[in-house]
Amino acid sequence: MPDRRCKHIFAMLSDYLNAELPVKKCREVERHLKGCEPCIAYLESLKNTVEACRRYQVRKIPAPSKKVREALLLALR
Amino acid sequence: MNTQIEEALKSLQSGNRQDAERALATLQGVVYGFGMKVCGSHEDAQDTAQETLIRLARQLREFPDARALSVWLYKVAKTQCLMSRRKSKFAPAQMLSLEDLMPKESDLSPTGIKSWQVTPEETVLRMELRGRLEDAILALPKHYRLVLILRDMEQLDTREVAEVMGISEETTKKRLQRARVFVRNALAGYARHLNERKSKSHA
Repeated sequence: MPDRRCKHIFAMLSDYLNAELPVKKCREVERHLKGCEPCIAYLESLKNTVEACRRYQVRKIPAPSKKVREALLLALR
Repeated sequence: MNTQIEEALKSLQSGNRQDAERALATLQGVVYGFGMKVCGSHEDAQDTAQETLIRLARQLREFPDARALSVWLYKVAKTQCLMSRRKSKFAPAQMLSLEDLMPKESDLSPTGIKSWQVTPEETVLRMELRGRLEDAILALPKHYRLVLILRDMEQLDTREVAEVMGISEETTKKRLQRARVFVRNALAGYARHLNERKSKSHA
């Protein structure tokens, strides 16, 4: 990363995306982001990664096995 | 919390057989899907779903609310996944250092970032991106992988992930941060490769 300040901010970006940073640190990140293109680009790519994970879905889901269905129906009696 | 689980619990508690069957299909989707993401193998995911849901049937009346069910379900499924290692891909347990994962300046060009946002028409590229994401997640050491899947794919909150994993919220956040950066770096590598291919085809 470009400098030590960026490294310090880099360590807070994941919590920043989760909105889990204390207010003071959140302001610190936002102040830095206003003037740092590489950190803005990095944050954007991290956001894209989280979005790709959120959108990901397993394609084929098989039906529950007979054993599972029987166990459930027994439990509901 | 996964809202599907909330609805499934209501259906199971209604006592109606049809609702219960629908709830079972929902929970099969949740647990099998989680198993596939963690293990990368259909057989292991199916075993995980079967063992977890049979245990659930035995304890069905013990869940006071959907949150308790959700945490219990993922906790049991996680243990099953770690036990059923027939075909699962588990990278060796290791620590990921933030210093090592830190990007170089050359990785941060705006073109590199835009290039992994493929258009809906670019079906092949979307498939490739999906494959890269799966590979990157399976390459993560298991404790980082589980945290990333629970937080970013299953969309549990930090506290729930910490409970499922049996770790503190601080450790959860640290693992999540490293896992996200690891996957981000793998996808950024793909974005560079994609960029090169696009410029060659336009030349």
